[in-house]
Amino acid sequence: MIKMKRGLQTAFAAVALASAAFLPVSAMAAGKLTVSSPQDPGSWDPIDTFLVNWASVATNIFDGLTYRGPDLKLVPGLATSWDVLDNGMRIRFKLREGVKFHNGEDFNAEAVKFTFDRLLGAEGAKGPQQSNYNSIASVEVIDANTVDFKMKVADPVILTKLAGYGGMIVPPKYIQEKGDAYFNAHPVGTGAFKFVSYEPKVNIVLAANPDYFGGAPKISDLEYKFIAEPATAVAELQAGRVDLVIPPTIPIGMIPTIQGDSKLAVVTSPGPTVYALRFNTRDGITKDPKVRQALIMGVDRDAIIKSILGGQAEPIASFQGPLSFGFDKAMKPLPYDPAKAQALLKEAGVAPGAAVQIDLRGNEATFIEVAQAISAYLQAIGITATIKPYETNVLLNDIIPNGKTGAMFQQSWGGWTLDYDNTAVAMYHTGEKWNPYDSDPKMDELLARQRTITDVAEREKVLQEIAQYAADRALEMPLYNLNAIFGISKRVKNFTPVPDSRLKFTDVTVE
Amino acid sequence: MEGGGSHENKGTRDLAAFLIKRLAQAIFVVIAVTLTVAFAIRLTGDPALMLTQGAGSVTEADLVRIREGLGLNEPFFVQYLHFLKGIVTLDFGRSFLGGTPVSLLIGKALPATLALAFTSLIVSIVISIPLGIKAATARGKWADQMIRILSLVGLSFPNFWLATMLVLLFAIALPLLPPSGMDGIASFILPAVTMGIILTATNVRLVRTTMLETLRSQYIMVARAKGLSENTVLYKHALRNCAIPLITYFGLQFGGLLGGIVVVERVFNWPGLGTLAFDAVGARDYPVLQAVITVLSLMIIGINLIVDIAYGLVDPRVRTE
Repeated sequence: MIKMKRGLQTAFAAVALASAAFLPVSAMAAGKLTVSSPQDPGSWDPIDTFLVNWASVATNIFDGLTYRGPDLKLVPGLATSWDVLDNGMRIRFKLREGVKFHNGEDFNAEAVKFTFDRLLGAEGAKGPQQSNYNSIASVEVIDANTVDFKMKVADPVILTKLAGYGGMIVPPKYIQEKGDAYFNAHPVGTGAFKFVSYEPKVNIVLAANPDYFGGAPKISDLEYKFIAEPATAVAELQAGRVDLVIPPTIPIGMIPTIQGDSKLAVVTSPGPTVYALRFNTRDGITKDPKVRQALIMGVDRDAIIKSILGGQAEPIASFQGPLSFGFDKAMKPLPYDPAKAQALLKEAGVAPGAAVQIDLRGNEATFIEVAQAISAYLQAIGITATIKPYETNVLLNDIIPNGKTGAMFQQSWGGWTLDYDNTAVAMYHTGEKWNPYDSDPKMDELLARQRTITDVAEREKVLQEIAQYAADRALEMPLYNLNAIFGISKRVKNFTPVPDSRLKFTDVTVE
Repeated sequence: MEGGGSHENKGTRDLAAFLIKRLAQAIFVVIAVTLTVAFAIRLTGDPALMLTQGAGSVTEADLVRIREGLGLNEPFFVQYLHFLKGIVTLDFGRSFLGGTPVSLLIGKALPATLALAFTSLIVSIVISIPLGIKAATARGKWADQMIRILSLVGLSFPNFWLATMLVLLFAIALPLLPPSGMDGIASFILPAVTMGIILTATNVRLVRTTMLETLRSQYIMVARAKGLSENTVLYKHALRNCAIPLITYFGLQFGGLLGGIVVVERVFNWPGLGTLAFDAVGARDYPVLQAVITVLSLMIIGINLIVDIAYGLVDPRVRTE
């Protein structure tokens, strides 16, 4: 009896000891989050990609000098402060001290210089990121924790861009020793999670970085599975093998399936992507601004949002959403007014039954429905619209850039800088790839002017003027700003949906 | 003895000639197929534009720079020769999307696809042979009618629909099996059964027809007259004589299976060649797509060769001819 008691005591003591040993660890970081992402970017090197699904993973691995969180406000990242000097031609950054890369290497001014020398040099030239940072002439080390960015031209968006993909700081020694190809598949940064393993087309596994300068993550493990097919991703979510499905995966039509499952929820945030039907302003009836206005007024865009998009979108007045810098709250979309539309068409001498063609991406089921509704509305004001779906690549690489579209064509746009500059230049400047038809000296002048302005408020005013001018000329039929749609298991707590796919899982917990 | 030796030599020579002829055919087919693919995919889109989508204002100079980085500034035939050289040295270059070596991607995807295709074929053979024999022996009776109706139903299922239904049933309603991915034996069941059911639909009919023909032969009558049990007659005498057309068909089917696996792989997020090809087409990832097509054509050629050799194993007449 005594013997047995002692045995029990020993067992209890052992259990108590064991739990004491393990408790602190599990209290700090516990739980694993499994995320379904629709695309494997193939490389984790920041200078190799523009894909938002690179960012939805890599934001957890890398940091930039600046950081833009879910509220889209620019805050210090690896730089603690900065001064814009010499009319924007030089920016001095004070760097965070005591930060180490995941491999133990120190983060310092040399690392910043190395990152940008690499981005702006031969290695960066092979990738798509370099063109975003061409305004930088060079980075100079002042001391171990201070750098100067020398600019070729003043770039009002550069601080935002430094929070962007190409501006992520990479470890110099690691890359020099291991080489670029190794770095592609074995990324090392300063971020909240460390790289563990990567299997192309299957998954990438990360683990919490307890020394993260922004505070250790609350979960210990993070896995991304690459699942392209929406139905498959949602099935994994329903089966409890995935905790979160990130955009762009879930189509509007699948929202009820998720909402119908008591273990799951749909979380949305305003997204970066705006949709419009743009006009061929060079040929045919849409050459006339009056006709373009009539076509816009003939379509009830609010009804489309409510019925086809299940309310998961906001109407827009210009080709940008409310998150975009340059957005003007005061600007209102043209009203739905079929009578006025018909009057305008008559004024322009367009006979009833005139035909227009709407070109769109053949693989976007939801937008095809939207286009069908638009076509029905146009029918009601006496315009016969035919819909022509293309394979996405053909539409984007041939039909639009070479000006071979019908009177109207689909444009969806999600500039990650969320600065109207990016969008407006691409859409309206003479000779741009996305602008095969229009050439307007006044527009070109406005677009060029705003790039030279470093005063934030003043530049915003010019951007708003550009938006208004584009709307006055009715260069496109602005449709809507689509929400970013996340499917989530209710086991996941403290998740904040982000508008720009820059997911950072430091605060998330999993029950 | 001597005669036997020379006969053997002649046999080896014949086999060598046969293999050389097949090799020449294989080279021709690979060149024809890859040349078409390489040429066609280059007509439909610019990978540099695909890479910079959503990049904001990209200038023509940027695109030229990126194309140069991808080796696309060289003339088409130079690019193609590089690719041919790659086949010989087993170095298919790097993926345009992220620069992963293509041989690494293929090295992971090929076993996944082969394993799934093979399992599916086994599933189908295991189901279709007993069912086909049953249908043949019960010709015109109730069992035959049922089997034929079921096979018609199976034939009319689109594979993506069948896949989704199986997932809904066995992964969500009854959470028994993983809905997607390749981890462990359990994950093979749903995709292999999906493919297997669709294959079975045609295979049952084939087994039934072949069996009916064989059962009419005189040696079956003899076997039955000898008083052999029905099972011995069916499985030992009849089935063995059905083997040639069945092996031919299953072999060719395996080739077709590799092509048709794309949809099933995508629905089940199977990390195989189909998924690889699907993504490569979308991204205009020339090196990956060309490599997948090359591997697939080589496999189909290889399977045809194996089928020819397998004849010899099951039918001594082919061996001596």
